[in-house]
Amino acid sequence: MKTRYVAVRLKIPDNQAYTALVVLQRLGIALGQVERSEIYEREEEAGGAAELARRTMRDESVFNPNKHTLAVLEQNVPRTGEVWIEECDTPRAPNRPRYIGWRLFLTDGTPADRATIEAATTRLLCNPAIERAIM
Amino acid sequence: MNRRIAVLVFPGTNSEGETLRLLRDLGADAQLVHWSRPQELAAYGAYVLPGGFAYEDRIRAGAIAAHDHLMDAVIDGCAKGKLVLGICNGAQILLEAGLVPGTAAARRPTAAFTHNAPQPHFICRHVYVKLASAPMRSAITASLDEGALIPAWAAHAQGRLAAGPEHLAELVEGAHVAFVYAHPDGRVDEQAVPNGSALGCAGLVNREGNVLALMPHPERDAWNVNHLQRRVGEALFAPSGGAVLFESFVRAVQRA
Amino acid sequence: MRPYRSRLHRVLRLRSVTDGLARLALRPDERERIAQQLGREPTLVEWYAFDAQWSEHCSYKSSRRHLAKLPTSGPGVILGPGEDSGVLRLGRRQGEEYAIVIAHESHNHPSQVVPFEGAATGIGGIVRDVLCMGAEVIALADPLRFGRAGDPNSHACSVARGAVDGISAYGNAIGVPNLAGDVYFHEGFDENCLVNVVALGLVKEPEIVHSFVPKGAAGWAIVLVGKATDASGFGGASFSSGTLDVADDDSNKGAVQVPDPFLASVLMRASYRVFAMLRERGLVVGYKDLGAGGIMGCSAELCSSGGFGARIELDAVNAALPGLAPEVLAVGETQERLCWALPQEIVADVLRIYNDEFSLPQIARNACAVVIGEVTAEPRYVLYHRGEIVMDVDIDLLTGSIRDDLPVQPCVARPSVDPAIADRRLAAVQSQADLAASLLAHRDVASREPLYRRYDRVVRGATVIPRGVADAGVLAPIPGSPLGVALAVAGNPRYGALDAQRAAELAVVEAVRRVVAVGARPIGLTDCLNFGNPRQPEQYAQFLAAIDGLSAGARALELAFVSGNVSFYNESALGRAVPASAIVACVGACDDLSTLRLPNVGDSGDRLVLVGAHAGALGGSVAAALLGIDEGLPEVDLGAECALHAQVQGIGSCARVVGDGGALATIAQMLFGADERLGVRFTPGLALRTLLAESNGFVVVQPSAEPPAGIVLGTVTGDAVMQFPDESVVAVADLKALWSASLEDIYP
Repeated sequence: MKTRYVAVRLKIPDNQAYTALVVLQRLGIALGQVERSEIYEREEEAGGAAELARRTMRDESVFNPNKHTLAVLEQNVPRTGEVWIEECDTPRAPNRPRYIGWRLFLTDGTPADRATIEAATTRLLCNPAIERAIM
Repeated sequence: MNRRIAVLVFPGTNSEGETLRLLRDLGADAQLVHWSRPQELAAYGAYVLPGGFAYEDRIRAGAIAAHDHLMDAVIDGCAKGKLVLGICNGAQILLEAGLVPGTAAARRPTAAFTHNAPQPHFICRHVYVKLASAPMRSAITASLDEGALIPAWAAHAQGRLAAGPEHLAELVEGAHVAFVYAHPDGRVDEQAVPNGSALGCAGLVNREGNVLALMPHPERDAWNVNHLQRRVGEALFAPSGGAVLFESFVRAVQRA
Repeated sequence: MRPYRSRLHRVLRLRSVTDGLARLALRPDERERIAQQLGREPTLVEWYAFDAQWSEHCSYKSSRRHLAKLPTSGPGVILGPGEDSGVLRLGRRQGEEYAIVIAHESHNHPSQVVPFEGAATGIGGIVRDVLCMGAEVIALADPLRFGRAGDPNSHACSVARGAVDGISAYGNAIGVPNLAGDVYFHEGFDENCLVNVVALGLVKEPEIVHSFVPKGAAGWAIVLVGKATDASGFGGASFSSGTLDVADDDSNKGAVQVPDPFLASVLMRASYRVFAMLRERGLVVGYKDLGAGGIMGCSAELCSSGGFGARIELDAVNAALPGLAPEVLAVGETQERLCWALPQEIVADVLRIYNDEFSLPQIARNACAVVIGEVTAEPRYVLYHRGEIVMDVDIDLLTGSIRDDLPVQPCVARPSVDPAIADRRLAAVQSQADLAASLLAHRDVASREPLYRRYDRVVRGATVIPRGVADAGVLAPIPGSPLGVALAVAGNPRYGALDAQRAAELAVVEAVRRVVAVGARPIGLTDCLNFGNPRQPEQYAQFLAAIDGLSAGARALELAFVSGNVSFYNESALGRAVPASAIVACVGACDDLSTLRLPNVGDSGDRLVLVGAHAGALGGSVAAALLGIDEGLPEVDLGAECALHAQVQGIGSCARVVGDGGALATIAQMLFGADERLGVRFTPGLALRTLLAESNGFVVVQPSAEPPAGIVLGTVTGDAVMQFPDESVVAVADLKALWSASLEDIYP
């Protein structure tokens, strides 16, 4: 068994990601797109990532095929352009995401650089009193 | 002397109506000020941030509203000693804007009202809040009795006070905890807390005492008609119950 | 669960496949009729327009003529069915006539497949139906029917949770209190939940805005306001008019309706501002919610019901993305949109309110108010897209009433059951106290608090009796005025599974009794008829029987149905239909809120008296389910019902309706809300049947000095226990713990 992270994202319009984009732009951070994912922590069993994906897709408490899309992450770290926000003292439960992943893209469509991610995190995405940011 | 009170309306605010009505029933000169007219705020002497879901609590409750232009004026007014009262979502916004407890720079929060625990769901429940600091600790609570017990409705999904250990210690040492949850008879214990809030906290005040952030809604139990156990013969729309906190706020504004 | 089939894909297929029209819900004879009337082959846009407008959902083609049997007028009715909401007279205050606007709908199919979004958009839709009448939205109610949700991994459980979370998220965010509602868990809803929604609004009678353009409106602007049109919800009207078909197709986005309560909250407040401007200028205009059939359905109905036509420029529509096909722009069911018909001279001011003052474009992507066309004198409906006419039809052909005459097979009468069998089962009960424990922990009786505590029930500061405290919720909608409004819902699926007609009749009786119990005067009704496939004669027959039941109940009580909705095809792919579900809401008026009757159980020594009791039939009761009893449904004497209400209103102290779980459950719940030292000693030798029968009148509290008004069930004691006729005893606190916890596993 090894720990894997599964990113579940809305495929229907994501109001929250849109608002994050608008507000970050208003704060002077030049972004073109924001994607929000819920990152779940799962144990990989026999069958590897494909079986883990299938298993997660059957779990209705986290996934609905009519509105979600899902990816088992290659590595257990944020993807390029992404920051993970973890709530420090919230009890962990299988149907609650371990992290919220914010994936930021610049106006030319490329993933945001570290300085941009840090600016977005400090200004808006993370409240350091209760949350921890992982880049 | 400026006795005019502005009730701020962010997009998504939903309790502006009853908040304004109560302030006016208590004799205050109060107006709604809407997010498209932030420049009007400077002309008011005090601010009330009512409940609701400003920006639908996207990202975190209060996080986006804290960056709204309306808050530029509130941050500015707060520094000048204007009185500011935030209820529920208004309280969340005040914490995200860093005005309460106000121990760091503006918009650098050191605490938050966040997801309820152990269950993270929205909870709507009648509660009592008890004045935990000395009435004179804040101008806003100055007219309340010591240990005043005030009826209110908790109606939030993110009402649990949370902060790191050093900041929690700071809240205690600085007597920032203005209100705690209590039983109807005034007893204070964990069972009285509906949301897992640290320190049993229902409301926080800033260092100077001019800004109060309270999670439950006293204004929803503020007229005789709202009280389940009301006595026959009382005027249905006479302010009562939760109105005492607003009364104390209005008096403070009129004194200022 | 698996995703359901995409309508978008159908469009793509349609364009490439010559026989693609087979994929429309329109039947061959309907298609023939359309082509014949147009005198040509319809365009693709026209096909989709007729597919939506002639769907069961929009046209009521199988139900309209039967619904005409329902009473819809009366002295309390300002506006009956026909527009987006009905309107009831509330009362006079300082020279103004106040009215209550009410609408009642279902969002069953969407909630089954995407529970959170489906239920949330149900709230959004019902709120817009009330809003567009010029009303301030003041209350919500949510009658819910879920499957057996005991297994947390079942789809039924995720539906039961997701739907409640969706209602909570939307209703709480827009700031409208949840005042009433009910929930049942029944195997008949395992594959098809019912999510009904009710909204109330307050308006002064002269300020009602109608869902049609007034006289002299030729040349007026048609203004679309709200969310940018996208492909979400495309095909919704015919989607809800077809049996739920769960097929493998991985890439659907089409029919999921995406809720945005944040935008809705701003739209409501901006609309209130526009109403104020209209009042100042004394203007009469048309305003209507976009529901099934999208821009096309809404603008066509808005204009045709005023006797006009419309010309719409689809290119003017604020779209979420470029290149949307004209049929998607025309009939897609994007949420949070409404449509105005306005005289040209105020258009600029209305656009300014929405776009500048309330900054819609900053609230949601491409949201705005925009002129999309005009009202025309010629009664044709014409759509332009990229300079070409893509639709040009007689507007009355599009929106006029079409009807289906479907075969009916009479309901099969249930064989009569020997009551002696039931009596033997009742006699075999070992301990009535143990039975009480099972009864109060039953999911249809247990405390609903785990569910409704997720709903904001007190926002607006006008709540007088919050949901869950008494038989109906009560508001003080006009600050400073003693006028009150009460709201309750009813519709028992255990009854519906046995007898559609009697169940409908009892739904009316129970909803009205609930309003009476709090001391309000019933003023009007709404109904939502949730049934199976009308093309199955036996299922259609249940629908017809229910209408007879609703009609009989309402006529006996001299009340009218002012709004309603029909939801057919609540059946699984295997053809299993939901239990017949005629769900009723009743509005009550209270002239003086200080005369309301708040719940209490009296004091030690008071009597608990059953008034309006029937013979005690147990069919469809919770007790029957627990004890395996098979009987007919209770019979209520409709002729005596008004007199019963007067009797109950005349008894000064508390009255509670006998509903699920019978008088036993009613009395237990009266105790649970009272001083914890109180208990009840039931009358020794009282027949158990009398305590368990449902729809069995009221329990009233009477001082022992008064002559009892009915059957004395028991006496209030000060010893905190319930002592049953068979002498078995249980502590009230123990029962309360069971009752309180039963739904916690579904709603922790």
